[in-house]
Amino acid sequence: MVIKTRESENVVIFDIEGEIRRSDAAQTTLHSLVKAQLDRGRRNVLLDLGGVEFIDSFGVGEILASYISTQNLGGKFKLCRISKKLLLIFQITMLHKVLEIHEDCDRALESFEKA
Amino acid sequence: MADGRLERFLNRFGDVRGREARAALTLSGFFFLITFTFYIIKPVKESFLIGFARPSWWPFADLATALLIGFVVALNARLLNRLPRRTYLTACLLFFIASLFVFWFVFDVHRTMQIMTPVADSSGISFFLWLQVAIPKFWPFPVFVFCFWADVFIVMSVTQFWIAVNDVFGPHQAKRLVGLFVTGGLFGGIAGSALAALMVFARLIRPEDLLLVCPALLVLALVTINIVYAEQRRIDAAAGDGPVSAAARVGYLESFRAVKRSRYLLLLAAMLASAMIAGSLINYQFKTVVKSAIENSGDRTSFIAVFFLAILAVSTVFHLVTTGRILKSYGIRWAILIAPVFLIAGSLAVFLIPAGAMLAWVCAARGGDKTFDNTISQSVRELLYVPVPAEVKYKAKIFIDMFVNKFATGLGAGLFLLLYSLRRFEYRADQPLAIVREIGVLTLIFLFLWLVLTRLVYREYPAVLKKDIRPKWTEGRQAVAAHVDVDLTLKIFNTIQSRERSTTLYYMNVFNLLRGNDLAPELKELLGIKRDELKARAMDSLFDVAGGVFFPGLEEAIADTEFQSEIDLVFLLPSYQEIMGRRLGEIIGSASEVDRIEAANSISRMVPDPPTLQALGRLLQDPSAEVVVYALNSASVHRRPEHVPLIVRQLANPMTSAEAQSALAAYGPGIEDLIGPILRASDEPLEVRRAIPEVLARVGTQLAADILVEELARRRDDVEQALVDALYKIRADRREVRFREKAVRPELLFLIKKGCDISLNPPGPAGEAKAALNIRIKRIFDLMTLMHSPEDIVNAYQNILQGTARSVDYSLEHLDNLLDRELKSLLFPLIEDLPPEERALRLKKAMRLK
Repeated sequence: MVIKTRESENVVIFDIEGEIRRSDAAQTTLHSLVKAQLDRGRRNVLLDLGGVEFIDSFGVGEILASYISTQNLGGKFKLCRISKKLLLIFQITMLHKVLEIHEDCDRALESFEKA
Repeated sequence: MADGRLERFLNRFGDVRGREARAALTLSGFFFLITFTFYIIKPVKESFLIGFARPSWWPFADLATALLIGFVVALNARLLNRLPRRTYLTACLLFFIASLFVFWFVFDVHRTMQIMTPVADSSGISFFLWLQVAIPKFWPFPVFVFCFWADVFIVMSVTQFWIAVNDVFGPHQAKRLVGLFVTGGLFGGIAGSALAALMVFARLIRPEDLLLVCPALLVLALVTINIVYAEQRRIDAAAGDGPVSAAARVGYLESFRAVKRSRYLLLLAAMLASAMIAGSLINYQFKTVVKSAIENSGDRTSFIAVFFLAILAVSTVFHLVTTGRILKSYGIRWAILIAPVFLIAGSLAVFLIPAGAMLAWVCAARGGDKTFDNTISQSVRELLYVPVPAEVKYKAKIFIDMFVNKFATGLGAGLFLLLYSLRRFEYRADQPLAIVREIGVLTLIFLFLWLVLTRLVYREYPAVLKKDIRPKWTEGRQAVAAHVDVDLTLKIFNTIQSRERSTTLYYMNVFNLLRGNDLAPELKELLGIKRDELKARAMDSLFDVAGGVFFPGLEEAIADTEFQSEIDLVFLLPSYQEIMGRRLGEIIGSASEVDRIEAANSISRMVPDPPTLQALGRLLQDPSAEVVVYALNSASVHRRPEHVPLIVRQLANPMTSAEAQSALAAYGPGIEDLIGPILRASDEPLEVRRAIPEVLARVGTQLAADILVEELARRRDDVEQALVDALYKIRADRREVRFREKAVRPELLFLIKKGCDISLNPPGPAGEAKAALNIRIKRIFDLMTLMHSPEDIVNAYQNILQGTARSVDYSLEHLDNLLDRELKSLLFPLIEDLPPEERALRLKKAMRLK
């Protein structure tokens, strides 16, 4: 799994490539990267999952922990370009009720501006 | 004057900040002009009543006001409802200006009639001719009308001023600025009294001519209040706050119902009524003693004039020196008590004093009552209205301040008349001390009632304040918990993933899922349990495992309870245990990760005999994180103490940390003694020590909370965040757990001081320092929940961060009432919207305090 960080306006975007799973996890986890951005004062976080094929329970835990940390500080945490397969699992497990998911990353960025 | 200089100047009278300086000064000026006018009218009213009405009629002036004020309140409520606020205030002021000219004309005609025979003016109009005849004929009725009008003017103009304050400022602002407003009022009173006394004493003008000075002052007041509202409209638009909300379109009865519906307003009305009745009775004690002590009418008038001027002077000094400080340092909580406590002590003294000290005593009692009424009681009274919702506030304020106030004064007069008649005061003029003591008993009843009601009002105050502090967002954990069963979700993802590894593992996971959870049909579909429906929903691609046939017969088999029981029995078979005990050792030693995962998973269902537990211990140390995760799940089922150190070791690994935390938490109460020492051991890896507080939070016992607080008191930076997070979680989830203020407060103070350090000595560039401070402030608020209601603190934090100007102000006011003086002095400069220099100044001052 490769995670690249970039910024657009006041949004921190994490571009994730590969699979978010325990066996591929690096010592620096997604949650620790998000927390570092929150500690820097960033409050809007977008995960671009366009390059993610699969997420296991470890990956879901990381995403939920990142969401909770962002939300507790009054920030916004969103996902974009999630695969149909993952979206289906997210819908059935009700994760889509908690996590704001956008098909398109540009629209996700616009939604941060509107909020 | 530049804003900065103006702010510095106004700070001598109140805590005035930046942008609010102009509005505060203008409103203060408005109050100055109102009280200026009021203190010109007051001596004219008193002088005319004394001069033209017999003494036995005096209480009837109060009673008449008490009876008629209801109509004025009804009319006023209607006007307030129908007219925009600015138009309403303008219309009222214009009415009072016009009335002043009418009264001046009436009094002028009466005086003219006294010195010359009325003659028809050749150019006169019939109406004026009629007046010239009617005024002397109905005299002194116009004096009573004027007294009533003067009472209406006083009560309405003061009420309108505080309505304007409520429109323009929030509660926390109002609390800071109330000192400035009252100062304006006191200066206005002194100016009005002095002007009236000097002009009349020097015989420059007749008393009634003073009424012609008042319209000029009221025109200035008119201009001032219009400036305030014009400016406010601009500020509201810029701040994103809505315009001043119009009152609901209801009448007098609805105003009464609004008060009746709210317990807080009822208590407030009762408290103010008790205070007014007590004040009224003290006034009659004063009159009785003064009448007895000073027999000459001229001397008495002179004494009263000097007495009232002295009260205003004392009030001004008392106000400038103490009101602001008391409110700032002790808040409404203690300020509300000062007047009743002092007056009770003073009233009790009447039973101890000799007859010779009566005049001194009554001056102290009446002086004290009026001084408090002019200063701290007035400030507190107005602040108590501020948190009342806007749609109720104005109706309630008019009803209480106008109707209840005057009705209570009338009731005081009625009680005095009753006592006067029952105790035959008329025939006991030679026993003033006895009379004063008898009135004193009645006064004390109402003073004690006032004291009790202050406590009841204050108890309700925070609840009313909180209604306007609504949450801005849902806390992350609550938002997730509201929609998602996190444990189940994680198991589902694990199960789906396990399909890739082995069919056996997948079956095991599906079996475990079905056993422990009542799965929704969609989930069964997702897991491939209902294959036919799955196909129908075209989800084949999701579960397309190398194009193979998809788990035939799974649904029927696993859903069958008999089948489930059979599996359980297999696990219990002694032969199974014997064989598996030997086999497990071989599997664990195998190179196949899948085999080891399957073994780790199966152990959760096996009987925990020594070989099984030994195998589990080895699996907990497996190099594969996947194996360890399954082993952790089995360990959480068997909960053996010998596995705790092995599980703790997994806390250091980010890939297994969350599952290790869950496994330890599954041990439940009792685990605290095993992991508490690890939290304290500085030689343990930091990741382990940081992960343990979360485990303690999930266990959530009193002991877990005590360990966390104890560790927090060691003040180690590296685990501070984890400790505070865990404590916050326990507080939110386990209301039965108690936190001792004695243990928490020093740590809260320590955290706040660290925040002050960051603010005064930023660790890096401005942006980074601000971010660090924000994280610190969040931690402070999280810890604060241990001492106060978590909802209140979270709402206050959220509003301070993202609220409107008004909700920020309400939140600050709420905190102001919750926190003690030291915490407030350090925390408020961190969270208030202040210019950097001002913030630094206040922080330095606060840090020096302790």
